[in-house]
Amino acid sequence: MTRALTIATALLLAAVVAMGAYLYYLRRNEQARARDLPDTRPISAPVVGPASPVTLYLAYDDPGVLRPQQVSIPLPADPAQRGREILHALVGEYVKRPSSHELGAGADVKDVFLVNGNTAVVDTTPAFAEEHPSGILVETLTVASLVKTLTANLSGVTRVKILVDGEERETLAGHADLEDFYDVTAVEQMLQQLQ
Amino acid sequence: MVRALVVASLVFLLIATAPSAEEKQLSVYGPQVSYSLPVSEHNSQDYVALLEALEPFGNVSASTLGRKWKLRFNNLEIEFRQNATVGKVAKKKFSLPAPFVLEGNRGLVPLRALPGLLTLVLDTRTEYHEAARRLFLGGAAIHFGAAAREGGLSVNFSAPVNPLISTEPGKLKMTFTRDPVVSGAGILKLESPLVSSIAFSENNGQAELVVQGRVPLLAQFAANRRTIILVAAPGEAQSAAPPAPATTPPPVATPAAVVPPAPVAAPAAVAVPPPPTLQSLTAKPPFVVMLDAGHGGDDRGALLGDKLEEKAVTLAFARRLRSELQSHGISAVMVRDADVSVPVEQRAAMADAARVAVYLSLHATSQGHGVRVYTAMLNSASSPPGAFLPWDTAQSRYVLGSRALADIVKAELGKHEIPSSEFSAPVEPLNHVAAAALAVEVAPSGSDVTSVTLAAYQQRIAAALAEGIVVGRSRVEADR
Repeated sequence: MTRALTIATALLLAAVVAMGAYLYYLRRNEQARARDLPDTRPISAPVVGPASPVTLYLAYDDPGVLRPQQVSIPLPADPAQRGREILHALVGEYVKRPSSHELGAGADVKDVFLVNGNTAVVDTTPAFAEEHPSGILVETLTVASLVKTLTANLSGVTRVKILVDGEERETLAGHADLEDFYDVTAVEQMLQQLQ
Repeated sequence: MVRALVVASLVFLLIATAPSAEEKQLSVYGPQVSYSLPVSEHNSQDYVALLEALEPFGNVSASTLGRKWKLRFNNLEIEFRQNATVGKVAKKKFSLPAPFVLEGNRGLVPLRALPGLLTLVLDTRTEYHEAARRLFLGGAAIHFGAAAREGGLSVNFSAPVNPLISTEPGKLKMTFTRDPVVSGAGILKLESPLVSSIAFSENNGQAELVVQGRVPLLAQFAANRRTIILVAAPGEAQSAAPPAPATTPPPVATPAAVVPPAPVAAPAAVAVPPPPTLQSLTAKPPFVVMLDAGHGGDDRGALLGDKLEEKAVTLAFARRLRSELQSHGISAVMVRDADVSVPVEQRAAMADAARVAVYLSLHATSQGHGVRVYTAMLNSASSPPGAFLPWDTAQSRYVLGSRALADIVKAELGKHEIPSSEFSAPVEPLNHVAAAALAVEVAPSGSDVTSVTLAAYQQRIAAALAEGIVVGRSRVEADR
């Protein structure tokens, strides 16, 4: 083997090793990035069937109010599942771009549970809180929008509790209290002040 | 010779019968279960048995085959080899900081590896206080704060607690073995006539609160073990009381359990001031405004624009407001005067402990314009002055006064031509404050977000707020 061939082979081998190391570095970076991304996979199978009219109370950050909006979505018969689909549609409006009240990608409602017919427990995805904009008004509007939309479409609910990934959380994004149950009447009074 | 033998025997006996050093232990606190595990030492490293650590969380079994040790937890497999530092958890490689130890059928892992293992196996976040060997799972934590009350001082916890209470001269100790009690501050200085400070420490899987008393103390549980009321021990209470009090304070809540004080002499470790009188305990405290600059430390709050952090804006504004209040002759204290983290509930506890007249939670936002003033979203409830108030709704008694003060503040902002609005909102920690309490959110003056940092703009708002408090002082005093 000539000296030139030896050098060329060594250079090629070095290039192969360097490329391999670079590919490994890229792969690790990509894996780390994927881990940090919010989980945006759908959390339940889409409901099929005839669409029913539903009133969503959409939050508008700029004037700081809720406004009703009629939509038609397929709804299951079970009240708790119906609540989940309604809130899923509501949060879906907030993750769209542009939105009157933007929430982060992956924000969604995982489940709604009805306890004793009058208490609704809303379980949200981690991204719902972790990607939520921070601020008293913006967090209050999110809470009010969930509570008002749920109670406007599910009769008999007088208290609402919001969980994040199945767990109680002190605040939504540093301001709005998530430890207590929300009294629907108190939320209504607050909304009257906002309007 | 015989004498030497006798001395040697005595020395041996002394060594043999001496109490062994405190055994090392790890405490694990979960949302549903808390437990302690013995910690053993191997090659100067702390180890715990993995099977025992996982047992409280589900079905767990282990088998040994030669040097290989396998553990099955629910449907997940963990595998380690004796003296190896690499094993498998759910078929994925897991590295240990020190070799795996097999003691018979017991598999021991280095204590430092346990938080990582539990995070993987239980799919929950963990926080490990290594020096104290306390491991918190899934955000389990109990915060506490102190509040003056008639006839004593109440130490309020965010969940029921079950401490071991003991007394020694000048001190009352509460030792928490199963309760995930944590504290943002090491020591809480108090101006109570009974207690000078409450110090928090944690060690060997336990947390401890040491109450430095000015008089011998008695501890009573109340509010379903969420509150520990500290009162002067009976002898002290009698000496503290005036001969014939014209008014008797309302009795304290019926204690669930009373821990009798140890027969202690006058506290030696602390200076003993003259015993408090009932008048001093029930007297209206001075008018003080507590300024709580929102967020701080790890909690940066909202991001205003690209780089501006809410925690910095609130601190600057709080300092400005403090100067403004002081220029009106009103005492103002700050929850934080530096970039430090203070738990939200601790902030309310500080306000309650200091018996402030007004509590202002200060925030900043990039959305909207002007100033928004918030009060608690609670219904008003009446209770006699000095009565015990539930932690979750302590603000109920004061909420009408808070709303009246918010009206006045809004009017003053209007006089300074600052657009403002006023709402009730579920803002933490207003519900827990036993005083007139407002949250004030400062928004930009125009389209430029950075205007919230402008000295002139902040000064106008601070002046309006201070004048609002001056005008509303008599209304606030009426509720105290």
